[in-house]
Amino acid sequence: GHVVGRRPGMEAGGELRVGFVGAGRMAQGVAQGVVRAGKVKAANVLASAPSDRNLGAFQDLGCRTTHCNSEVLQRCSLVFLATKPHLLPGVLQEISPAVTRDHVIVSVVAGVTLQTLQQLLPVGTKVLRVMPNLPCVVQEGAVVFARGSCAGEQEAALLKSLLSACGLCEETPESYIDIHTGLSGSGVAYVYLFAEALAEGAVKMGMPSALANKIAAQTLLGAAKMILETGEHPATLRSNVCTPGGTTIHALHELEKGALRATVMNAVEAATTRARELGKR
Amino acid sequence: MSGRHSPFAGAATWAAGPAGRAMSVGFIGAGQLAFALARGFTAAGILAAHKITASSPDTDLPTVSGLRKIGVNFTISNKETVKNSDVLFLAVKPPIIPFILDEIGSDIENRHIVVSCAAGVTISSIEKKLSAFCPTPKVIRCMTNTPVIVREGATVYATGTHAEVEDGKLLEQLMASVGFCTEVEEDLIDAVTGLSGSGPAYAFTALDALADGGVKMGLPRRLAVRLGAQALLGAAKMLLDSEQHPGQLKDNVCSPGGATIYALHFLESGGFRSLLINAVEASCIRTRELQHLADQEKVSPAAIKKTLLDKVKLESPSVSMASASKVSLFSSSWAPNSKKN
Repeated sequence: GHVVGRRPGMEAGGELRVGFVGAGRMAQGVAQGVVRAGKVKAANVLASAPSDRNLGAFQDLGCRTTHCNSEVLQRCSLVFLATKPHLLPGVLQEISPAVTRDHVIVSVVAGVTLQTLQQLLPVGTKVLRVMPNLPCVVQEGAVVFARGSCAGEQEAALLKSLLSACGLCEETPESYIDIHTGLSGSGVAYVYLFAEALAEGAVKMGMPSALANKIAAQTLLGAAKMILETGEHPATLRSNVCTPGGTTIHALHELEKGALRATVMNAVEAATTRARELGKR
Repeated sequence: MSGRHSPFAGAATWAAGPAGRAMSVGFIGAGQLAFALARGFTAAGILAAHKITASSPDTDLPTVSGLRKIGVNFTISNKETVKNSDVLFLAVKPPIIPFILDEIGSDIENRHIVVSCAAGVTISSIEKKLSAFCPTPKVIRCMTNTPVIVREGATVYATGTHAEVEDGKLLEQLMASVGFCTEVEEDLIDAVTGLSGSGPAYAFTALDALADGGVKMGLPRRLAVRLGAQALLGAAKMLLDSEQHPGQLKDNVCSPGGATIYALHFLESGGFRSLLINAVEASCIRTRELQHLADQEKVSPAAIKKTLLDKVKLESPSVSMASASKVSLFSSSWAPNSKKN
């Protein structure tokens, strides 16, 4: 039926219904974030996927599930597209008849530009593109999003409010999204690698690995927290830790000898470049 | 207090020595260091040229004529320098120091402040040498660098056992007229040598290479040198004037995706930072090594310029040399033998 005076993104009765087309890890992470933070009731979340494989995670959260993508569009006003990139065009074709001007379509699909999305969806659809990262699952994600041409400030504010449940969320120009991939999307893997290496060093020096891993992770967490909370430049924080002739400066020298900085820059550059390449296909 | 540019700088005000009269400064050695300091002091107006004496057995050094041109009193007699000075700079190479001390030791009086600028030469080694002649020699150890010549030196000093606070302050006043000067504990001086002592050489190397980069990209050499030097000068000045960490200042210059960040990536790839850390470390360690050699082991007299040795011998016949064998520089057994009557 036709409902008068419906606010964008809101169902009659005022409760936001959020849908997920595609139920993989990233969709699960976002869903967990928004549900655990109480932004959306689990019962108001509907996820669709071709098989049951991924839907179990949503069911465990208390969300509803379906095998019908169009049903997600019919029941929800804010819909996350979280399919694999090569599947997206087909899915968009399938759901387009169900997309209205009141929908807010949020793509989480890597490498698919706003231009492509807008081309494959009905004219005038409000589209936003999001690049989250894995720690959304524990509500410590880093998320950037960009607006399509028909998405306004209200939609941006709504999305930001939702995704802030998952961690840091910032609106950016679309061109930053690939960089975000290189920095933070892939970046978590760099951190895992670094954590592994730290722990290995400790094991070499005689610490049991389980303890070393735990401490390594806590060290990264603590240091990151200090950057975020003090607002100090990391270079300043680094200098503050280095007592003259002490252990830290000796260790840092080793890192500099290994050109760690350049290597990390190379990694971010490689991932960003690859994201751009993939986005062009 | 430490600082740059003496509050007393100005043609009308000379630095005051003991008893308030204008101070006299002497340099044993008339090479690069003596010239740089003399030039700096006179340009700063803290010392009149005629109150400066410098001596060296070698009159052919280009710096000798430079010193004469400034109006400094030049002599071949180290003893004359000592007699005409209140503050006496030992501006000779480290291996020469012990010979000098033996030569002039008997002329050192209570008023003298002996300032050694020799890398790696400890206060205690100098005091030990001088104690044969003078019960309480005032010794200050100093590490400066060549930009004192343009009054942008970096100097640290450590005071010896018998140097009073005022003696340190007097030296500080002198050295602050030619750049930055501060007091430190003696055990930091080797690190200072590695950093600011050798530092100008690192900078000259960097500037040469930067100019090459400019030339490669089409700039005339002279312009490239000028611009490179000005860039480093300006950056250094910004850092000294700023509360910010150099990392922050760097960030301020690097616009996203711009030219500078691309260039910096190259520097990082080449291990630029670690090279500089290595350099400072190497210079500091080498300084300590040389000091250790001087203290513990023996240095062949052949390693010391023969003319200098001969001239030192002429001045003080009591200094005995076993020229065929190696010479121990700081063994205390020397002192009683060289004591003059």
